[in-house]
Amino acid sequence: MESTGVAVAFWLLSALTVGGALLVLLSRNLLHALVFLVVAFLGTAGLFLTLSADFIAVAQILIYAGAIAVLIVFAIMLTPLASRDNANSLYAVPGILLGLAVAALVAFAALDGGWPELAGEALAERGFSSTVAAIGELLLGRYVLAFEVASVLLLFALVGAIVLVREEPPAGDGEGREP
Amino acid sequence: MIPLENFLLLSAALFAIGFYGVLARRSAILILMSVELMLAAVSINLVAFAAYLDADGLTGMIFAIFVITVAAAEVGLALGIVLRLYRERRTANVDAADELKW
Amino acid sequence: MNPDLNYEYALLLPEFILAATAALVLFADAFRQELRVSRRLLPWLAVLGALVAGVVSLAYLDRSDDFAELLTIDDFTTFFRVLFAAIVVVLILGSHEFVERHVRHVGEFYALLLLATVGAIFMSAARELITAYIAIELLSFSLYVAVSLTLGDRRSGEASLKYVLLGGVASAMLLYGLSLLYGIAGSTQYAEIGAAFAAGTADFEWALVLSLALLIGGLGFKASAVPFHMWTPDAYEGAPLPITAFLSATSKAAIVALLLRVFGGPLLPAIDEWQWMMATLAVLTMAFGNLIALQQSNIKRLLAYSSIGQVGYMLMAVTAISFETSSALLLHVAGYLVTNLAVFAAVIAVHNRTGDERIAGFRGLAETQPYLALVLTAGLFSLAGMPLFAGFATKFILFQAVASEGFLWLSVVAVIASTVSLYYYLQVIRQMYLYPPDGDAARWRPSFTALATTGGLLLGVVFIGLYAGPLFRLADGAATALFV
Repeated sequence: MESTGVAVAFWLLSALTVGGALLVLLSRNLLHALVFLVVAFLGTAGLFLTLSADFIAVAQILIYAGAIAVLIVFAIMLTPLASRDNANSLYAVPGILLGLAVAALVAFAALDGGWPELAGEALAERGFSSTVAAIGELLLGRYVLAFEVASVLLLFALVGAIVLVREEPPAGDGEGREP
Repeated sequence: MIPLENFLLLSAALFAIGFYGVLARRSAILILMSVELMLAAVSINLVAFAAYLDADGLTGMIFAIFVITVAAAEVGLALGIVLRLYRERRTANVDAADELKW
Repeated sequence: MNPDLNYEYALLLPEFILAATAALVLFADAFRQELRVSRRLLPWLAVLGALVAGVVSLAYLDRSDDFAELLTIDDFTTFFRVLFAAIVVVLILGSHEFVERHVRHVGEFYALLLLATVGAIFMSAARELITAYIAIELLSFSLYVAVSLTLGDRRSGEASLKYVLLGGVASAMLLYGLSLLYGIAGSTQYAEIGAAFAAGTADFEWALVLSLALLIGGLGFKASAVPFHMWTPDAYEGAPLPITAFLSATSKAAIVALLLRVFGGPLLPAIDEWQWMMATLAVLTMAFGNLIALQQSNIKRLLAYSSIGQVGYMLMAVTAISFETSSALLLHVAGYLVTNLAVFAAVIAVHNRTGDERIAGFRGLAETQPYLALVLTAGLFSLAGMPLFAGFATKFILFQAVASEGFLWLSVVAVIASTVSLYYYLQVIRQMYLYPPDGDAARWRPSFTALATTGGLLLGVVFIGLYAGPLFRLADGAATALFV
């Protein structure tokens, strides 16, 4: 009974994700594309829930559907002239073929693999338990270094973004104004 | 129980859609969105593998968290560059960026 | 905290010093008016930090330890730590005048260099996929920003946009490959992946090939291997010259370190699956890098394609991986770094005077500044692999090691590619010696720091060329740590 529910949820969410992703490609209007992107991300978050990955599902919604979407809205609004001409590039037609080839290749590789799945009992035994505490412990214990490097990376993405967008200082800045 | 292959196929589809978007789009912002789709495909892969294959079931999730973090930083940085280019040239299309020959 | 793991933070002291210096430089730059620090102090602060970090790294010689099973601290790591710290020192000394004049946001520039170095060191030290990935991104992000910092040059922003978009796609490819690798091996630890691969991967014929292809493609992009090199000439041309030098030095060496760690370790049991991919990539890179370089007229683009060709030789050594080729490769990388920095230091010193990026801008340099012409000639000859210079000794040992692993044909291709490369290096040398100067024919003197850096590097190029023994022993020691 429960597995039917999960299966239905999986198919609905996959349809939502893939449909959203396809519509991102088809829409000419940047804002419409963004809305469909958010739909695709929400679908992905739902899929994470079907995999019992509660923390990542919520992070996906907060970061992707929230923060990144807002960031992109700002970028679209700040580049008004850029949003007019969104025709496809010259590579649109070869792109379709290449995209299909990539899809076929990756799908084939996925089906070909004899993935050593955990046996049914081991999975059933695990059941659903919140991953938040375990992930927190791992992030600040086992993977603390990666965590720290990531925070340095975020800090410098911040500094980098500021440096990039700031107007160039007028000539002679710095040395001239110094005491 | 949903077979693992379903998740892998879904992720393959998402990855290919993103890849097509990167090739077919001219707007840097749309290319960026396509890259995000590809990264979402990676996250699905990682979380699915973690849930189905990994005994402790968490390594893949940690990996996915880092992927999401880095992706967010990348969007911020790339949009900063797009804004800078827009200020200089009034466009955000990659084929208008042609002062350097490819 | 897991009590079984080793959380000895002292192992990471050099990186802490580098990161702290980066923060200090940023801080001093932001508050320079309040603190009454001159901007001229910043490069010296950065140099000091990198020097201390390099010296402190020497304390870890002959150690073999790990940090929480995320990083390995052994002679291999020490080798690259010292190299990367030295690159920053030399680069800043050789280019601080250039940076003052041609770079936006000087403080951030130095901080980015230092942080990129941290990323590069972690790439060479990582023993686990997540850490390796974060380290790659730390290096890449610093470079995305640094490329866009040329003052008043529209090409800079464009180069950065191309770099960041293509870099994002490459990261996605790399990550997809890594996710499949995780699925196949069930772990992100190199050691456990190696064990899983040694136990047999018969179940995953296609998934394995795909994951390796994506992995090699993604890393090949970062190393600018043909056909993933499209971003390289543009990024090199748009970037400020010191960043161009950094792209061709640290970022290439870091990828080589990562390739050696990954393909010489966990992926070694699957060598039959990836050897042909790596060989194809190496041949394409050697051939196209050197052929396209023939028709360049801008010195930055010329050096871009030349560095692509050089990456080909390194990939060739990864193809024929073994203990001998690894130590030869490490020697070659060290020699290449010294040579390449000598070339760039001379180019930067000339650019400070002429402001010209065209190869024709070097006309008559032998008359106006014979010393720099000499350094540049030595450097270019060394890149081409002429005797007397570092490039000959290291290439000789490298090609021989590859040939003795049964890849004679790859060595032959490399020798032909080297011969082709001599032609375009000679084009630059011809401009310097055979033509009279275009405008100002007066003699001029480079600054003291430019003289000192080019002089030191010239000595290095000649010393390694004549007497490669000591460096070879160091490379050997580093390779031993890899193949215990």
